[in-house]
Amino acid sequence: MRRPALVLAILAAAVTVSPVRAALRINGSTTVNPVVVDAAAELRAARGGEIQVDTLGGSSGGIAALGDGRADVAMSSRPILESDRERYPGVDFRATAIGSDALALVVSRDVWEGGLRSLTRPQLLALYEGRIRNWRELGGPDRRVVFFNKEPGRGTWEVFAHWAYGDSSEAPLVSLPEVGSNEEARSKVASTRGAISQLSAAWADGERVFALGIELADGSVVRPTPQAVAAGEYPLSRPLFLVTDGEAGRDARELIDFLLGARGREIVERHGYLPASPAVTTPEEAP
Amino acid sequence: MRRLIDHGFTLLTGMAALAACGLLVGIAAVILERGLPALSWEFVSRAADGFGGGGVVYQIAGTVLLLLTALGVAAPTAIAVALLATVYLDRGRSRRRLTLALYALNGVPSIVFGIVGLAVFVKGLGWGKSWLAGGLVLALMILPTLTVALAERIRAVPRSYRTAASGLGLSRSAVVWSVLLPQSLGGLVSGTLLGLARAAGETAPILFTAAVFAGATLPAGVKESPILALPYHIFVLAQDSFDPAAGAALWGSATVLLALVLSLSIAALPTRLRTHEEARHG
Amino acid sequence: MTRWLTWTLSLLTGVVVLGSALLLLLESLPAWRHSGLGFLTGTRWFFRASEFGAAPMVYGTLVVAVLALGLAAPLAFGAALFTAEVLRGRARLAVKGTIELLAGIPSVVYGLLGVLLLRDWIYRLLSPFDPLSGDTLLTGGVLLAVMILPTVTTLADDSLAGVPAGQRRAARGLGLTRAEVAATVVVPQAAPGLVAALLLGLGRALGETIAVFLVVGRRDNQWPEWLLSPKPIAEAGQTLTTKLGGSEVWIAWGDPLHWGAIVGLALLLLSLVVGLTVTGLRLAPPGGRDA
Repeated sequence: MRRPALVLAILAAAVTVSPVRAALRINGSTTVNPVVVDAAAELRAARGGEIQVDTLGGSSGGIAALGDGRADVAMSSRPILESDRERYPGVDFRATAIGSDALALVVSRDVWEGGLRSLTRPQLLALYEGRIRNWRELGGPDRRVVFFNKEPGRGTWEVFAHWAYGDSSEAPLVSLPEVGSNEEARSKVASTRGAISQLSAAWADGERVFALGIELADGSVVRPTPQAVAAGEYPLSRPLFLVTDGEAGRDARELIDFLLGARGREIVERHGYLPASPAVTTPEEAP
Repeated sequence: MRRLIDHGFTLLTGMAALAACGLLVGIAAVILERGLPALSWEFVSRAADGFGGGGVVYQIAGTVLLLLTALGVAAPTAIAVALLATVYLDRGRSRRRLTLALYALNGVPSIVFGIVGLAVFVKGLGWGKSWLAGGLVLALMILPTLTVALAERIRAVPRSYRTAASGLGLSRSAVVWSVLLPQSLGGLVSGTLLGLARAAGETAPILFTAAVFAGATLPAGVKESPILALPYHIFVLAQDSFDPAAGAALWGSATVLLALVLSLSIAALPTRLRTHEEARHG
Repeated sequence: MTRWLTWTLSLLTGVVVLGSALLLLLESLPAWRHSGLGFLTGTRWFFRASEFGAAPMVYGTLVVAVLALGLAAPLAFGAALFTAEVLRGRARLAVKGTIELLAGIPSVVYGLLGVLLLRDWIYRLLSPFDPLSGDTLLTGGVLLAVMILPTVTTLADDSLAGVPAGQRRAARGLGLTRAEVAATVVVPQAAPGLVAALLLGLGRALGETIAVFLVVGRRDNQWPEWLLSPKPIAEAGQTLTTKLGGSEVWIAWGDPLHWGAIVGLALLLLSLVVGLTVTGLRLAPPGGRDA
């Protein structure tokens, strides 16, 4: 029975030893995640220290973690909402855009090849609310509509609901099959006939899933191309944010500056997003 | 006709058994086919680099740390509860109740452990994600496996050993330490291996309590000291592997995890099967 | 000293376990106060409208688990009859060992295979019925069937092989074939153990999370038009565990009512599984069986 004592001693030792440099804790959006993970790896190699990245719960999960003090930086693919500020009155949310991304409505191959290339907003609402149940009604193939909805709390869903309904709290209560992260959405749409889902345009590869254009009120169709997003023509584009509570601390600042700099912008682009507008900060970057 | 039915019986049941065994082979084959090409010394010895690149050494280290913590807490507790069930509790009703409680605890779904861990450690104690929270939750989860395996062996120690030891004037605790526990060590070991095999593969209990996706190395404290872990790594990559390199990391990680879990269960197998056969014929 | 340590550690464990159950009850109180019994019977779950009805998830959980059991039981009993009644010696140990190894495969690995292979198979299999997608309750059920197969087989083998060998010899001496011995002597005697094996397998199926999470579609509020309607089986659904493993847990975090509802689901799942396990054990008290 000496073992428990030993374990206790080890635990006590572990508790008393404190880290030299507190780790930077980052949590949130799976859309922003790959960029931050790559940036964190380079920063770590350059200057040491720990940067922990996690994605449970998506953007809202990250913002809640920041609000509760469980994270130092939230990754978010949606802006800070009034409801966030109401929920965490004591937190001073400061969001910095590190790039932007278009939210695409992607469909499976059979829908795309069936001739459906774009949607109007009312058509999209009708699909989401289940009022249109067959693609034939929109001039597509004779195939039932399968709408994979991004789970609530995901930035993608918030941006979609905001555009479609003006405010995500106005979005109707629907029960659709849900998908969480981007790859899950992509693989499920790709492997299901008649499927549609909201997906980061960076993941719309045009081989397995196909991004629909948006038909604007004047009848013109805009596709989620980098050019259209950069020019602000595509209506469903959104900034990607890193959010801090008040002024960013030293480590968080370093990460944000890195992502706004030349090397960071390369990483943002490599993952298929649009870098933030050219930074005015100094050009010296970590290698 | 009766012969025919008898042959049919053998054939049908044999096919069922073959199918069950075939499943194991099939699953292992599918994983290995995709995972082996990704395996290399670098893969198991280097830290992850970016999203899905590099190796998984900290995922392995994190999983091992979780296992050691769970073991350190569960083993002494299992010894205590097993002794209670076999030596210190009065025979009959209270023993049966304890056994029932252990089996009930064993049946508790792992996600419930995860939610409890989230409520107690992360929310209640304000630890954030921590290796210790994960280890404690896993310890509770594997406790019944260890206890039952050990208790089974203690019960199998011949009655005469106990009476002889008592006859020599040994106190009850001396009997426990010098006769019962050494004689039943095998049960503790096989139970431990089995419990660890289960703990190593679980995602649900550490999802909310211990694991993050990237950036953690070895913890330096308790609060806000998450770890990386193989099953969680696979769970995240399975949902979010963007480029083919991440796909390779995904299957590679699955291969490493499968190897870890299967070697633990294989190590436990001989003792386990022997105990079963003895329990039957002895 | 030893006695004192034994009691202290054991009591401590008991306190931790009971405390955890109590904690679940306490934390879920806001949800019970908000919805009352409607938490159990309500068929609508919309957290944005503070509607919390768990019935569709209980339904999904039961459908998936019963499907799993229905698919796994014949195969498991067949395999158990083979190992207990036909095989002898080393061959028996080899087959039993292989099946036990199957039990050790982590659920995230099963989930991975489910995503990779099973979803497409089910999608093709169901194509005459024009399924919406390959994420269905059936997919979850089939995956779970594979996962609980070793549990049910091992437990069933234990109870079959527990029938004294002398009775088999006597029956064989009367000229009965092996199949007849199994049907008339062994199975009737092992029946309570076989039922217990089913119940414990069911308990495992009810509680499995990660693998089901990846293939079930996670569609809320799937409620059948009539209770035994087969239609929802070929559609996406949600179970208690997939809800508990999902992102809603983090959204619920700061909101006592929503959090209470989530914890309430955990409590529901716990009662369901522990109830089944205890019933199973009452039928066949554990003897030489491992946990």
